Amino acid sequence: MSSSRLRTRKPTPEAVESADAAERRARKGARSSRVSVESRYRSWLSHHGAMARDSARRLLVTPIASLLTMLAIAIALTLPAALWLALDSARLLDNELNDSAQLTLYLDTSVSEGRALDLADRLRDEQGIGGVRLITAAEGMEEFAQALDLKRSLSLLDNNPLPASIMITPVDTTPESVHQLATRLESEPGVESARLDLAWLERLRQLGELGQKVTLGLAVLFGLGVLLVVGNTIRLSVESRRQEIEVVTLIGATHAFVRRPFLYSGAWYGLGGGLLACGILALGGSWLAAPVTGLVQSYGGNYVLPSLGLSGGAALLFSSTILGWVGAWFAVGRHLASISPR
Amino acid sequence: MIAFEHVGKRYGGRFDALAGLDFTVERGEMAFLTGHSGAGKSSLLKLIMLLERPSRGRILVAGHDIGRLHVSQVPYYRRQIGVVFQDHQLLSDRNIFHNVALPLMIQGVTPREQARRVRAALDKVGLLHREKALPVELSGGEQQRVGIARAVVNKPALLLADEPTGNLDPALSADIMRLFEDFNRIGTTVMIASHDLALIAGLHHRTLELADGRLIADKDAR
Repeated sequence: MSSSRLRTRKPTPEAVESADAAERRARKGARSSRVSVESRYRSWLSHHGAMARDSARRLLVTPIASLLTMLAIAIALTLPAALWLALDSARLLDNELNDSAQLTLYLDTSVSEGRALDLADRLRDEQGIGGVRLITAAEGMEEFAQALDLKRSLSLLDNNPLPASIMITPVDTTPESVHQLATRLESEPGVESARLDLAWLERLRQLGELGQKVTLGLAVLFGLGVLLVVGNTIRLSVESRRQEIEVVTLIGATHAFVRRPFLYSGAWYGLGGGLLACGILALGGSWLAAPVTGLVQSYGGNYVLPSLGLSGGAALLFSSTILGWVGAWFAVGRHLASISPR
Repeated sequence: MIAFEHVGKRYGGRFDALAGLDFTVERGEMAFLTGHSGAGKSSLLKLIMLLERPSRGRILVAGHDIGRLHVSQVPYYRRQIGVVFQDHQLLSDRNIFHNVALPLMIQGVTPREQARRVRAALDKVGLLHREKALPVELSGGEQQRVGIARAVVNKPALLLADEPTGNLDPALSADIMRLFEDFNRIGTTVMIASHDLALIAGLHHRTLELADGRLIADKDAR
């Protein structure tokens, strides 16, 4: 029999459905389809809720196995997060160092104290200069003598061999602009030379950049690790629920419906792993706090070990949850592809 | 309701599980599919359920060429078909009520409507009093009746059954077949694969006989 004959003689399900619906409309008012959109939406929401609860319950049924998976995720997350924290604190340190980036102008020994004062006053009004401090030749000698405890031997000298100097604090502390400022000021009359030691600042900056890239690379690698851990765990749980998946697929479940409980499991694993990672970081921080503070104080510094804080913690939890979700998505997707009709 | 046009299914490039199938099952008809094990009964049902796609020819269900359905449309197509399995395929981790409610849950029916329809279906198969039981607490015949309730709970236009009485004794088998006849009487198209020739002979319905993947007989016993 041809399809057209079948179609003309036999009503399609849609036709039956609409006739059915028309009949129902006639009976009890407007109700257009068999399952209304509103009812579908509400039951979709309630299915989400049910699956979130059900997958959490399933994790709690095997607490040790679930905890181990979460621990694996937590360890994979802790390393890049700790590196990021260390880098962040290094950046703070870097800023502090930048603030102390100073430029020293050594004046000609022939320049009189009055002219030196004039120059200092003029520089104070110039753009790009935050602070100016004049150290006269006499003051320089005083400091030098005090620092080296050479008062007596220096007093033997007939005249002061030290030049006056001007300490400049630049406004913009990036290496390039400090460099530019130095060359500009060197050409000022009366200035013998401008000295600044940028090499180590630059090295520190490059080290920071390297650290940033290493952290990013590790974060990507360990993120993939989390995907694999979750993916593998979910794959096992898909295997153990194979029959259920096949049955619901046979009676008309969409891929989204089949995926949903596993996505929630993955998200719970990720969230649990993220929480554990936060815990590990907090523990590690308090463990290291005493020695780090002691070390920094011995250098006369004042430095507090960084912690994730609220936003950092939220970011960590969010990304771990997303990683868990995505890992589960891939694991179920592979299985769904294998049971599609061929 | 179902039309096969020169349908063939080949596995692994060489073995023809089904070949040259041409037949039509009208809306509201009840038909048996018989033949020895390996004759192709299950393969044929799998094609209708879109578990597999034919290698040749086309299959029309309710006028639609189901070979042209996109993967994303397959779930919605399957919702129009009720399927009963030989091993009933109930989910052991939930009770009878929730097993039967599964198709409605998938379709997004409200819980209140679900409860109403599940109870109607369970009542029809005579198991309303067991709705809180787990599948393992039921006998084989009762489990199969739950399987039927689940297949008809969303009032499908087409009901397929693959050896639904394969594991049951003759008296229970006759009960199950009577249930199928009841659903057929209210307009459901029913197609049942079975090798229980004695049982089929007593029921006086159309019988399609397969052998080696070919249709060798089409007898209308009415």
